[in-house]
Amino acid sequence: MLLYIMEFAELIKTPRVDGVVLHRPFMPTVEGTLCLTGHHLILSSRQDNTEELWLLHSNIDSIEKRFVGSLGHITVKCKDLRVIQLEITGMEECLNIASSIEALSTLDLVSLMYPFFYRPMFEVIEDGWNSFLPQNAFKDLESMTDEWRLSEVNKDFSLCPSYPPLVAVPKDFDDETLKKVATFRHGGRFPVLSYYHKKNGMVMMRAGQPLTGTNGRRCKEDEKLINATLRPGKRGYIIDTRAINVAQQAKARGGGFELEANYPQWRRIHKAIERYNVLQESLIKLVEACNDQSHSMDRWLSKLEASNWQTNVKEILTTACLAAQCIDREGASVLVHGTEGTDSTLQVTSLAQIILDPGCRTVKGFQSLVEREWLQAGHPFQQRCAQSAFSNSKPRHEAPVFLLFLDCVWQILRQFPCSFEFNESFLVLLFEHAYASQFGTFLGNSAAERARLCLPEKTVSLWSWVNRPQELERLTNPLYEPNSLVIWPSVAPQSLLLWEGVFLRWNRSSKCLDEAYEEMVHIIEYNKELQTKVNSLRRQLAQLETEDPLLHTP
Amino acid sequence: MEFAEHIKTANVEDVVLRQPLQPPSRGTLCITGHHLLFSDREESDSRQVLLLLRNIDAIEKSVENLTGYSGFFSNASHSERMSGSSGTITMKCKDLRVLQLDIPGMEQCLNIAHSIETLSCLDCVSAMYPFFYRPVDLSLPEQWGLSSPEMHYSQMKELYEKWRLSTVNRDYSVCPSYPPAVIVPKSIDDDTLKKAAKFRQGGRFPVLCYYHKKNGMVIMRSSQPLLGANRKRCKEDELLLQAVIEGSDKGYIIDTRSMQQAQQARMTGGGFESKSFYDRWKRFHRQMERGKALQESLIKLVEACGDESNNMDRWLSKLENSKWLSHVQNALSTAGLLVECVERDGHSVLVHGSEGTDCSLLISTLAQLIMDPCCRTMEGFLGLLEREWIQARHPFQQRCAHSAYSHARLQQESPVFLLLLDCVWQLWRQFPLALGFSEALLLRLATEVYASDYGTFLCNSDQERCALEVKERTHCLFRALLRPTERDYYSNPLYERTELAIWPSVHPQSLQLWKGYFLRWTQQVRHLEEAQEEIRNMVIEWGKLARS
Repeated sequence: MLLYIMEFAELIKTPRVDGVVLHRPFMPTVEGTLCLTGHHLILSSRQDNTEELWLLHSNIDSIEKRFVGSLGHITVKCKDLRVIQLEITGMEECLNIASSIEALSTLDLVSLMYPFFYRPMFEVIEDGWNSFLPQNAFKDLESMTDEWRLSEVNKDFSLCPSYPPLVAVPKDFDDETLKKVATFRHGGRFPVLSYYHKKNGMVMMRAGQPLTGTNGRRCKEDEKLINATLRPGKRGYIIDTRAINVAQQAKARGGGFELEANYPQWRRIHKAIERYNVLQESLIKLVEACNDQSHSMDRWLSKLEASNWQTNVKEILTTACLAAQCIDREGASVLVHGTEGTDSTLQVTSLAQIILDPGCRTVKGFQSLVEREWLQAGHPFQQRCAQSAFSNSKPRHEAPVFLLFLDCVWQILRQFPCSFEFNESFLVLLFEHAYASQFGTFLGNSAAERARLCLPEKTVSLWSWVNRPQELERLTNPLYEPNSLVIWPSVAPQSLLLWEGVFLRWNRSSKCLDEAYEEMVHIIEYNKELQTKVNSLRRQLAQLETEDPLLHTP
Repeated sequence: MEFAEHIKTANVEDVVLRQPLQPPSRGTLCITGHHLLFSDREESDSRQVLLLLRNIDAIEKSVENLTGYSGFFSNASHSERMSGSSGTITMKCKDLRVLQLDIPGMEQCLNIAHSIETLSCLDCVSAMYPFFYRPVDLSLPEQWGLSSPEMHYSQMKELYEKWRLSTVNRDYSVCPSYPPAVIVPKSIDDDTLKKAAKFRQGGRFPVLCYYHKKNGMVIMRSSQPLLGANRKRCKEDELLLQAVIEGSDKGYIIDTRSMQQAQQARMTGGGFESKSFYDRWKRFHRQMERGKALQESLIKLVEACGDESNNMDRWLSKLENSKWLSHVQNALSTAGLLVECVERDGHSVLVHGSEGTDCSLLISTLAQLIMDPCCRTMEGFLGLLEREWIQARHPFQQRCAHSAYSHARLQQESPVFLLLLDCVWQLWRQFPLALGFSEALLLRLATEVYASDYGTFLCNSDQERCALEVKERTHCLFRALLRPTERDYYSNPLYERTELAIWPSVHPQSLQLWKGYFLRWTQQVRHLEEAQEEIRNMVIEWGKLARS
């Protein structure tokens, strides 16, 4: 540890500068002392023992510097889309600060990241690392069906590096068969259970693409495995998140899709969901449009359109609705995959569960969903969220896949404001922490990496922090009324809105909206209080009536 | 009696009604002089739909000669009776709802369609429903409307020193579109007003519309001055405006036309206040869309909202093409300019465009909402609408004759009032605590202005209203809205009065489509309404508990 600290020290030539002026959107300008530490940029005016700014270096997406005389201006653009300005007197100080921020914000080594240094200042009531273990989730499944078993075939991550050690598979398939199937699927991602629909016993599975290649290789075990999930005489649906021509092209590189001839009981549907750099570019364009300062309505709407972001939201939601429809309305089982099965596949399976399963719409249920369908299912967070919309470096594996998922959830939440136990703030919080966090939850790219980094031992889980009463209070939706029904969101373009809470968050003052929200919370709480009071008075009255017979005679 | 001749078939059985957000239902259809009545024949929970024929903007009919018609509820006994022919009437309403009737029998269908077509666009005002609307629990009012210019003046003690109430227009001879009493500078006598009126289009000489208590500055409105090509001037008009800024160094004129438009207006006898004769007034030109262009914008927007192609790019480009949001932005930023002049800069302002009956009213109303907390309560807002739109005469009859679906050739239609409501909605969205009323009130007004049981939005001016005895023979919407039950329903549960000006953000990113209105009949808006309903019920409940 000492060694690391010394490394940081090398990068920090000027650890503190006085008289730095901070400009932030919709907040008063502050003058104070700027301090750089290994992980933070801190600005304090030393007015009342609080810091005005406490920013993780890992939250910084890009910085720009310019000079007016000897006054340096540093613009800091953050991954949470905030933009702040620092004015530093003295060219040398400014250059030192800028180069330190640049170096510290792009440190690649995971083990140097802040979560490994962060010590919680709060009491951990429930360790988030143990809150959502696969074996616990499986107990719920066992109470509904005995057709599935928990396999340990991947316990050392050798079969499928991106899967967790425990996965749910059809009961009648032994580990040897699974091993064969894994060789036939991209990245070893053999079909596993993603969701069991209690209402009709239908299931949703996910996998990587089958490795059919140009000569149409087949794998009997793979066919048997997924056929085992069908009811006699029933057909299932395979939802391929790629357009048919993309899926065709994948054959040339050894991939492919399930041929009708080999999977006669399955109907394949292709849906084009964008991926990787196309999505990243869409995000960059959208954020640029949102920060456009021209006052032209036409320009704004054209730029919004050109970013294609809303189209992406619509396509993902539409595909998720399709999957949910196959399960709930058609009474059919579904297998979802794209190429690797770690991005668009997870968007579809997780959103379909939100639509179908009321349990996923609670705070804990949603955390469990994120844990199951994103973290343990091997979405490469570290790669996807290395950079956000402001970065100047060439995108490599970055893509706002998780942000798009959150955006889709927000669209559903907005359309069904009473059906979710959590509110928008919870979604925004997850977005922030996926990109930069003091917690270890979103570090690493898979369960295997997380195990190797010993995250549960060395870092604090985001859930440990979130699941404390004071945080939960902030994140719960006062309008929540459990709704046991399937909720079908409208995916008409007219129904989908731009997620202002993320994309216009720093461009508008949210003071009035926040006040209104608090007022609403207040009304609802007061209403509950009054209800309890009324109920207790009624009870008292009833008691008095039974005790005092005189009351019966007028 | 006169209606009867248009109704050949008054009753039809076995009609299927399809309306948004509800399953189709089968029942009996009746046509009366003013209404279309549909009663569900389900005995258990019978539903009725009562639709003002006036609300119907356009109808489309398709008649089919089918043998063995199989309707929605195809079962043998029905199809026997219906065999032969049937027809479908699609009714597109001014509140943007689209209803469909499946009517058995070709002739009946054509009769019904004909009746609806004729009765929905009868021109005669005195035959309209408000003159027949007589609810049992409500007698015709002693007082029509919330206030009058006289009452308004008498309540504003601050005005007494420098302003007076002039009755120069008591018989509508000076300006047919003004009310009988108007507020003008004390130092200007009626003769001067008469002469000034001759110099302004339609006789609309500058009158006071708002007094800013904080600094004593005012908003005046008028129509354009009639300079004409040879640059006529009018000493009395100059004197009148001079009196407005007595004791101050200057005033501002906001002309709601572009410089070019204002110059062109000289060719047709109009014009603007030239610097040489009004040297203490500084003029701003802000082009605002009006008339036909605005109506076309609405038509395009509604078409875009109804687009079912399910394509995001297409939706966004259609939305952009309609320009509606640009008009909203423009109206709010011009109103912002007006507020800046009065509140920040501390000067009086005169607002006008050409006639002074559309855009001028739009921005003076918005400016008052932004500046004056009194206008933001429910009474205050309705009072403001009464002063600025009813008394100051927006020609509702002409502007709201048709809405977005009509096939009829456009005449004077223009959704200026709807644009106002949209702008108010944007304010409400940006300042959810500051307004005492809710979106529901805006929706109600948007519906009532096109078709109503009440007489409030009838006619084009006060003079016409008097001639038809609207105030004696119809009920007033604003008073009805302020009855306790209605007031509970339309008030904003989150309201907390603020004395500050509420400056709206007019960044394009901050303005949104008013989904509650334009997408009102789609599923997802219902859920939002339900959530709002929930909160409203809570507050009402809460009020009851607090009382008991």
